Amino acid sequence: MTIGTIPSAAYHDVPYTRGGTVERSEVGALVRSAVDGDAAAWKAIVEGLGPLVWSVVRAHRLSDADAHEVYQTVWFRFTQHLDRIREPEKAGSWLASTARHECLKVHRQARRLVLTDDPHVLDTVSQDGEPEQTLLETEEAAAQGERVRRLWQAFEELGGRCRQLLRVLIASPPPSYQEVSAALDIAVGSIGPMRQRCLRRLRARLEARGTV
Amino acid sequence: MSDDIGDGTGFGDGPDVEEELLEEELRQAASLLDPVPPALLQSAVDAFALRDLETRVAELTFDSLVDAIPVRGAAAAPRMLTFSAGETVLDVELTDEGLIGQVLPPAPARIDILTGPYPAATAEADDMGRFTSTVTPSGPFALRLHTTDETVMTEWLRA
Repeated sequence: MTIGTIPSAAYHDVPYTRGGTVERSEVGALVRSAVDGDAAAWKAIVEGLGPLVWSVVRAHRLSDADAHEVYQTVWFRFTQHLDRIREPEKAGSWLASTARHECLKVHRQARRLVLTDDPHVLDTVSQDGEPEQTLLETEEAAAQGERVRRLWQAFEELGGRCRQLLRVLIASPPPSYQEVSAALDIAVGSIGPMRQRCLRRLRARLEARGTV
Repeated sequence: MSDDIGDGTGFGDGPDVEEELLEEELRQAASLLDPVPPALLQSAVDAFALRDLETRVAELTFDSLVDAIPVRGAAAAPRMLTFSAGETVLDVELTDEGLIGQVLPPAPARIDILTGPYPAATAEADDMGRFTSTVTPSGPFALRLHTTDETVMTEWLRA
């Protein structure tokens, strides 16, 4: 395939398939081009898999500062791993798993510093990302914005495991189950049933509030 | 404001489809409300410049955060790290006052302390391979070791 000329928006044209076979074969080719020194391929990898890394970090409920540091560390390390990668198409799983390990280290470090296992300490509320105000310019957009906000609030209030799983699943483009498995250290086979349970729980909450 | 979920328009209305739609709506919400911060995206794009094919990577083989048993009351215990690349070993201790380390086998060397593409500080290892720096890395960091024979760089870590 022609590599080196893949536009940075390559992922947006790819049809959605659960398991991400299309995107992921693309990832293998991009990784191989990046190994050959193609900066455009690297950029496409960052744009295609960056949201997955960010989702994994967010799923682990780090503070913003920690989240930023982990995100950067993962990509810095990937520059070192690139030339030794054995299965380029599994780059997403490598990134997800590396992000998970760094997140767990942050939790360990926080626990030691405050000498507590109090989970609230790890539940530092995020200050990032309320950039939606600019979108609320028309009434229609305002209503839509309100709906999105309510949906997001209901999602944030989900129990730990559900919120965690869904936060990874809703990376864009959607991750493969192998990547989700690497991100959360859960068996591929348990992702589907758990996803269904969690989405139903979310729907029930929305219905209870009359949001759906 | 809720007519885009569960009404089955053109999609059939099986429960799987509803879940699919809810997940997709949530995905759009995440892209809107919690996207990758642009500065981070740029930093990851720029990280390609960190690639250095001439340099061997020293892998993390011990991290007190993971491998040591926590000692009650020892909250300020320094982070101990060991990196290995073949026979070259780098022991590093991070404290509030800075960084202490040793290169094994002992040899003079220059050590760059990296927190991004450019060295934040440099230290010199003495004949025993020992080095110190008053720089306390925070966030992503790596060490690059220049001996007379070669250059070795540690895996990136978050301090």
